[in-house]
Amino acid sequence: MRPFLLEGGSVSQMPVAEGKNVQQTVELLTRKLEMLGAEKQGTFCVDCETYHTAASTLGSQGQAGKLMYVMHNSEYPLSCFALFENGPCLVADTNFDVLMVKLKGFFQSAKASKIETRGTRYQYCDFLVKVGTVTMGPSARGISVEVEYGPCVVASDCWSLLLEFLQSFLGSHTPGAPTVFGNRHDAVYSPADTMVQYMELFNKIRKQQQVPVAGIR
Amino acid sequence: MEAPPVTMMPVTGGTINMMEYLLQGSVLDHSLESLIHRLRGLCDNMEPETFLDHEMVFLLKGQQASPFVLRARRSMDRAGAPWHLRYLGQPEMGDKNRHALVRNCVDIATSENLTDFLMEMGFRMDHEFVARGHLFRKGIMKIVVYKIFRILTPGNTDNTEALSLSYLVELSVVAPAGQDVVSDDMRNFAEQLKPLVHLEKIDPKRLM
Repeated sequence: MRPFLLEGGSVSQMPVAEGKNVQQTVELLTRKLEMLGAEKQGTFCVDCETYHTAASTLGSQGQAGKLMYVMHNSEYPLSCFALFENGPCLVADTNFDVLMVKLKGFFQSAKASKIETRGTRYQYCDFLVKVGTVTMGPSARGISVEVEYGPCVVASDCWSLLLEFLQSFLGSHTPGAPTVFGNRHDAVYSPADTMVQYMELFNKIRKQQQVPVAGIR
Repeated sequence: MEAPPVTMMPVTGGTINMMEYLLQGSVLDHSLESLIHRLRGLCDNMEPETFLDHEMVFLLKGQQASPFVLRARRSMDRAGAPWHLRYLGQPEMGDKNRHALVRNCVDIATSENLTDFLMEMGFRMDHEFVARGHLFRKGIMKIVVYKIFRILTPGNTDNTEALSLSYLVELSVVAPAGQDVVSDDMRNFAEQLKPLVHLEKIDPKRLM
């Protein structure tokens, strides 16, 4: 079991250093990690596609078009995650992508809404750190930092440990506890909790750039 | 611990365009034993497998003429097994040279919050039933013999009643599109089950 993860950081929490661009700031961060003694272990990618209820179905359902997010994470290569904001997160196999093609008449992917983060995985003892560049289309929009503590499966049991570790390389940009832990302190952490945090981070980054939320045309 | 394999490629995928080839038939309750006996002899040598499933059929209505149908199935006798979400396309009878009914299908294993998620997507439950029966395999062919139970109080799978005095028998293969040859193997196998059961290519439109 290695599902503990905290993922914080975004443009505001991990601001681009003065006189540097996103890429240079990522390099700064990863250099700090390497100086700590963290070892490079391959790469990672998390992507997210936004779907909205096709206009044709709105009238008959009488409800506002909700946004649905379909996400993938290279850490779980055989899974597909489907989420609603503040709603359930479905964990499915990748045939769910095929189903979304069949559902084209009901759910359409919002134009140019695909957002993803890619970067390097670092292992530091029991911690797994992933620093990624968040991109939407061709432009880099921000930085994501994910930290996972392997030996523990209950978030509240190791939150202070994570916080301390984060401070060692994020300094004053260390984020507060993710809202996903808010109301269930003893719950066993699952991959879906990671994806909810990525979804929230992506949405925040989209909004910070003053880009209207995809899907509302 | 070894690092898991990672890739820079975005993970998207699934198996596109799978088709289900299907033959159906039924036997009366009193003939069940002899059919099971025959199947045990003909099928792959495996431990006899039984199943007890709860299936819910969900509809999503749009402005299109026909609603979008999805089937959610969960095992009632195997705790912790993933839920099964299934999409089935329009059945095609095809010509005489193809010996089975063919329909597009997408099979997805999911987490157990599937019904909540479908509701969130706008699906509504249309009907539900319980299926109890036996499962056999021969190569890539799957043979299920099962009885359908009506659920008397919605959502309560303990309160059921058999729909009929017979068992449904289905012979199916899921294969990539265009593999019509599998229907020949299916017909040959169906021949070996005669006269215990007559498996046929049944046009669902005829029953409506």
